[in-house]
Amino acid sequence: MFREAEEGAIQSDAYIDALLSGHARLPVALPVADAAPAPSVRRVIRTLERGMPRFHPSFLFEERLAEQLRALADERYAATPVAPLVLRERRVVIGGAIASGVSLAGAAMWAWRRRPRATERQD
Amino acid sequence: MAALVNLDADRTAVEAARRDPRAFEALYRKYVAQVYNFALYELRDPHAAEDLTAQIFLRALGGLRHFHEQAEPPDSSFRVWLFQIARNALSNERRRGRRHPEAPLDTALELPAADNVADAAAERADLRAALAAIDQLPADRRRALVLRFVNELDAREIGQVLGRSEGATRVLIHRSLQSVARSIGRGREARKGTPAQGRRRAAN
Repeated sequence: MFREAEEGAIQSDAYIDALLSGHARLPVALPVADAAPAPSVRRVIRTLERGMPRFHPSFLFEERLAEQLRALADERYAATPVAPLVLRERRVVIGGAIASGVSLAGAAMWAWRRRPRATERQD
Repeated sequence: MAALVNLDADRTAVEAARRDPRAFEALYRKYVAQVYNFALYELRDPHAAEDLTAQIFLRALGGLRHFHEQAEPPDSSFRVWLFQIARNALSNERRRGRRHPEAPLDTALELPAADNVADAAAERADLRAALAAIDQLPADRRRALVLRFVNELDAREIGQVLGRSEGATRVLIHRSLQSVARSIGRGREARKGTPAQGRRRAAN
């Protein structure tokens, strides 16, 4: 039963797509009669596509909300920390610490290896 | 075989707005009428629809950082995300028990005039009957029809907004259309059956 409904649904969907694409620059051809939905459904689709009104909010409302959004955006922009820069600085600090640690260890190792041996000291 | 990926037409604008929230205005201008229409069809009161539209866009700007194009469901778009916010906002309004529409859909909306005077009466009668039938549909069915015919979303997008699969959404829309067709048919039969009543209705 669902499969049957699905077939009809696909036909209706294609028919709606074809009608709505008439609003675009490249309209799609309407499906041929045997691939189209039942006449009663076709009629409803045409009625809704042509008749369902589309509205626009009032100019005053649109501008007032734009202003509100702009204020919020400014606030958010000012509050945003410059994250990537901080991250890079932190990376430099960590990298510097590791590098200096390695060089200190190297210097200590070098000093330890160069230390005078006990036998040399006796001489 | 390469998978077909639906790219979001708003990707560049969304990225720009994520970097700098001041760039959100372009998205707002593009979608304000669509969101307003969705709210108006549900609430049937221009002031309530404006309030809800404002809420939706303020919420969207606040949550833009959490919007991920490739998050669940895949290939989601900014438009779908915006309508998901709208749907949740509407449900919250309903849950709080506020703003239950009182006016029926066919009288709340100002219907456009038909081009041809001869067809006008029949067309308007059909449209009124269709809107009255849509009014009686469960919320998801009604919203699916508004999203399809007024906002021109496709079945995949509507499915994402309503939390259904694309196939189930197509069937939902088809069954809603069948149900509206039956109501119009019954209305037409009733008009034929009682001509005096029909004339009286037409005169009104």
